[in-house]
Amino acid sequence: MAEQVYVVFARKNREDPLHHIGSVQASDPELAKVYAWKTYDEERWFEMVVAPRDTFYPVNREEAPFDISRRSANSPEVA
Amino acid sequence: MTDGIRSAADLPEESRQALHDTILSLADSKRIIGILYADWVLGAPELEANIATSSISQDEWGHSRLLYALLKDFGEEPEKLEHAREPSEYCSIEALDQRLATWPEFVATNAIVDTALTVQLEALANSCYTPLRQRVQKQLEEERFHEAHGAAWLRRLGSSSDAARAAAQEAVNARWSHVLHWFGPDDFGTGEKEAGLTDGNGGELRARFIDRMTPVIEGAGLEVPSTRLDFSDWESASRRSQRTGPDPEAVARARGDRNRAFFVETAEPEK
Repeated sequence: MAEQVYVVFARKNREDPLHHIGSVQASDPELAKVYAWKTYDEERWFEMVVAPRDTFYPVNREEAPFDISRRSANSPEVA
Repeated sequence: MTDGIRSAADLPEESRQALHDTILSLADSKRIIGILYADWVLGAPELEANIATSSISQDEWGHSRLLYALLKDFGEEPEKLEHAREPSEYCSIEALDQRLATWPEFVATNAIVDTALTVQLEALANSCYTPLRQRVQKQLEEERFHEAHGAAWLRRLGSSSDAARAAAQEAVNARWSHVLHWFGPDDFGTGEKEAGLTDGNGGELRARFIDRMTPVIEGAGLEVPSTRLDFSDWESASRRSQRTGPDPEAVARARGDRNRAFFVETAEPEK
C-alpha cells in the first residue's frame, strides 16, 4: 500500500475560511484523517478536511510548493 | 428522557453494584490499555503513527481518570483505585493482560479490544444515571478516531506481506475469545437494561461487537476467529475468568509507583 501526502485544511469557526495547516503521509484516506486530527490537535477545530496533494493542479507557477512533480513524497511541506 | 438519576445512592439497590462493576472494568481496561499503548509511542512504524499512538494513549488515560472519579459517587476512593491496588484486584479485560510485543499486537488491540470497550460505552450513552451519561459522550467522540486508526492499520497489515498478514491474524486470534467473554453470558446485565442504566445485555453487546468487527476483519483479508463460549470460570464482578490480573510492571506504571515519592498526599489513611 503506497504512502501518499495528504494536505490538511481546517477552520476554527463555521464562518472562517479553511486554512492550509500542514500535511501528513498515510497509506489511505482513513488513516490520513486520523493522523491529521491527532497531529494538528492544537485547536478545537470546527472542521478539518484532508486531500491527496497530487489532486492539486498548480495554476500560476510551476515551481510552487504544490507542484508535486518536482518533489518526492518525503519532501517537507513548505507551503 | 427524564432528568434521570443524579446520584448512585438513588440507583435501584440490585443494579448499583452491577453498574459500579461495569464502570470499574471500563476504567481499569482504559488505564491498562493506555499504558500498553504508551510502550509504542516511539516505536510505531511511521512518525504520524507515533503521534497518533501518543494521543490515543493519553485519551485512554483521560477516560480512565473520568471513570475512576465517577466511582466516588459509589463510595469508592478514586486515589486508592488508581494508586493502591495489586494486579489481582484489577478488573481490566483479560485481552490486556500481556504486554504488546509487536506492532501487529498493538494494531489488533487497537482494532478489537478498544472497539469492545467502545461498544460497552455506547450502551451507556443514554443511561438514566446522569453522571455517567454526561461522561460518555466526549469519550465516544475520541474513540471514533481510535477505531478508525485500528481498522486502517489492520487493513494495511492485511494487505501487506504474508508475514505481516499472518502476524495480524495471530494477534486477532489471541484477543478474540477474551473480548467475547468480557461481555458476559447472554443474560448478563439484563436487570440493568430493564432499569434503563444500559441499553444492552451481554448477548446483545457481544452481537453488536461481532457485527461491527466482522466487516473490519474480513475487509482486511483476515478471518473472524471461531470461539466456543464457556463461562464456567467467569466471575461477573471482575468480568474475568482468571484473577491474576494484568502484567505487574504495567500495573506498577499505571499506579505511578516510581513517582510515589512526588505525590501530594491529601491525608494518610487510618491504619
